[in-house]
Amino acid sequence: MSFDLNFIGILIGAIMASSVPLILAASGELITERSGVLNLGVEGMMIIGAISGFALMVVTDNLFFAVIGSMLSGLIISLIFGLLTQSLLTNHVATGLALTIFGIGMSAMIGKNFVGIPGKEFPLLFVNLKESIPFLGPVFFGHSIILYFAFGLPFLTNYFLKKTKTGLIIRAVGDSPTSASNQGINVTLVRYSCILYGGAMCGLAGAYLSLIYTPQWIENMTGGRGWIALALVVFATWSPIKVLIGALIFGGITILQLHMQAVGLRIPVQLLSALPYIMTIIVLVVISRDSRKIKLNTPTSLGQIFYKEK
Amino acid sequence: MNTKLKVSEISKIYPGCIANDKVSLEFGSGKIYALLGENGAGKSTLVKILSGVVKPDDGEVFLNNESIKLNSPLDAKKNNIGMVFQHFNLFETLSVFENLSIDSDKKDEELRELVNDILKKYNFKIDLDIPVLNLSAGQKQKVEIIRCLIRNPKVLIMDEPTSVLTEQETDDLFISLKQFSKDGILIIYITHKLKEVLSLCDEVAVMRKGKVVSVSNTIDEKIESLANKMVGENLNTIKKKINNFKNSEEILKISNLNFNSDDPYETNLNNLNLSLKKGECLGIAGISGNGQNELFQILSGEIITEGTSIMFRNKEIGKLNPRERREYLMAFSPEDRISQAAVPELKIYENVALNNFKSSNFFEKGLVNEKKIKEHSKKILSNFSVNTDNVELKSQFLSGGNLQKLIIGRELITSPELLVCFNPTWGLDVGAINYIHETLIQINEQGKSSILISTDNDELLKLSDRICVIYKGKLSKIMNADTVTAEKLGILMGGGSID
Repeated sequence: MSFDLNFIGILIGAIMASSVPLILAASGELITERSGVLNLGVEGMMIIGAISGFALMVVTDNLFFAVIGSMLSGLIISLIFGLLTQSLLTNHVATGLALTIFGIGMSAMIGKNFVGIPGKEFPLLFVNLKESIPFLGPVFFGHSIILYFAFGLPFLTNYFLKKTKTGLIIRAVGDSPTSASNQGINVTLVRYSCILYGGAMCGLAGAYLSLIYTPQWIENMTGGRGWIALALVVFATWSPIKVLIGALIFGGITILQLHMQAVGLRIPVQLLSALPYIMTIIVLVVISRDSRKIKLNTPTSLGQIFYKEK
Repeated sequence: MNTKLKVSEISKIYPGCIANDKVSLEFGSGKIYALLGENGAGKSTLVKILSGVVKPDDGEVFLNNESIKLNSPLDAKKNNIGMVFQHFNLFETLSVFENLSIDSDKKDEELRELVNDILKKYNFKIDLDIPVLNLSAGQKQKVEIIRCLIRNPKVLIMDEPTSVLTEQETDDLFISLKQFSKDGILIIYITHKLKEVLSLCDEVAVMRKGKVVSVSNTIDEKIESLANKMVGENLNTIKKKINNFKNSEEILKISNLNFNSDDPYETNLNNLNLSLKKGECLGIAGISGNGQNELFQILSGEIITEGTSIMFRNKEIGKLNPRERREYLMAFSPEDRISQAAVPELKIYENVALNNFKSSNFFEKGLVNEKKIKEHSKKILSNFSVNTDNVELKSQFLSGGNLQKLIIGRELITSPELLVCFNPTWGLDVGAINYIHETLIQINEQGKSSILISTDNDELLKLSDRICVIYKGKLSKIMNADTVTAEKLGILMGGGSID
């Protein structure tokens, strides 16, 4: 194996690609959680996004419809969660878990007829630049548009939460739904919107997997990424930028340890496989250890059911 | 600007309780109105209706002779009715300015200018860019008030605003409220504290069990007359007969007790000495935070000290934990009813069971003897006139007064020799306070002793046989209650010395 500069560039490009589903799903879930809703159905929404994206691609032969459709399907399945938790006031944790189980089963059922069908090539941008510039080329160019969107998303999310009125209202609802309601804010509407947005982003994350990252349908292909995204949100203490860092570390170590396994280092494989999880948690805990900031970022009402006095 | 607010025949019925029963009241600007009543009298429901949080079942609200619909908090805002709730409606993790800007349609710069003008005008000192959770209770309340002032309110409703304030903050608040009133804002002040009504308000409406029972000018009222209207019966003025205990048996002796804490928020106690006779009540006065908490915990066994420093009925108990001390017939009623004395999520009988000891037989071979506990709990509920006979009720649904009766009852039903209580009537209404006071006097008459740690001087003077003051972790000389006046206590509480 050669360690030339271009190879490192390609490696970094691969790391970025592998962290995209995590960034998308975690950014979506972050908004949901900031409004005080804990949706543990990320994995389920992702896998539904993955299968519906792939199925639509096969049926319509149109990648645009496939991507939009995956987001819509994520949104629709999160609407079930919204109806249950916001209108029927069920417990967030139990409902979220049910959503994941439902999503995995449902996707396997739909996906039966799509196993083994090859995917379509997803258009990549700036492919010439990727090949003509050493190192920086493979890092910055030759990616899908969704990757560029994913890397912009944490910064947009940060700006949205901190600088816009809507972001302020979402944070307020997550802090104290009762106070928000007494201020005349429609808490249920805000929470619904955040749940639906989170669902759409998880759907998109799933589509990235089945349309771009490994363009095919495999049962259970999200492989726990939804849970990682959930954990990232918490360990990143609800900060979008830290979610990005966490996702990159996780993606990075996942790719690196695969290479290490391939090289045949004399470290037990199990330890190497566990490395991404351990390192991500350690790094995020270390960069998020300012307890004052944690307190300010944590949505105080997370997971609490809100009902309005009549 | 002349504002007239009228509520007419307002009714609101909750399952099992009529919160407002055809309430009619009239208010006009330029005056401060008190709405007085015990907990559960319907004051809070009425103001929730006025602020659009709760919809009435029947009745109308008129602002300047026009009927207004208050279906949501937004409607109240549109009609320039501002409301400061007892439990703040602030977002703790957001900055002060974010809290203010959230429901304002003004641009940030405009709003900041406006807020700064308000800060200057009323001499409020608040940093707009720090998170609300770093503010004191008084400052948080000011943020709530500013939030109302931004909208140029015609009516400002304050719901029990002083329950979380220090004395200084209360004085400041009263000055501001009088200023608002002069500026033409109609102020409705909800409280159950009689002194505040007399010192602040011009007119007072008294509510009882959902009905308005009296409207009058405060000039024509006295504390006693208001208290009787509020409770609906003639309260006997309690006065304890002070006894001389020189020849009685000594029951508790604390000698040379020191407590040093690593926690900067705790107060160290220096060389405490006191003794208590059988049947005596010792009052300990002081401004809160001078070591009362630590003293209570040392007495209850939450903080353990040297065995010999506390002698109870000639036994060394300094090293014993609260449960072991209870076995020796000590009983404790902590200041914080909700988090220290009872678990709000547990049912009444479960809370009673928490206070078990060997002789109570609540548990057999590791199993809960539910029948026995429930019987025992029923006895407490009826003996101490707690306003329910349902032992399955979660404790959080009891009012403060009933919860305190339950706690005191739980402690006293085992006939302890000594009861230590810390601010037992904090936040309670007059009826409940009276009941607790009578109970405390009764146990002394039965030859049991008590230690009353309290920040309420009237209560101390009423109940104690001897009184001392705790200041910065030190006890003053212990004085006979009949030689002590409120002024003397005031001097000692501020760190001064007398005679």
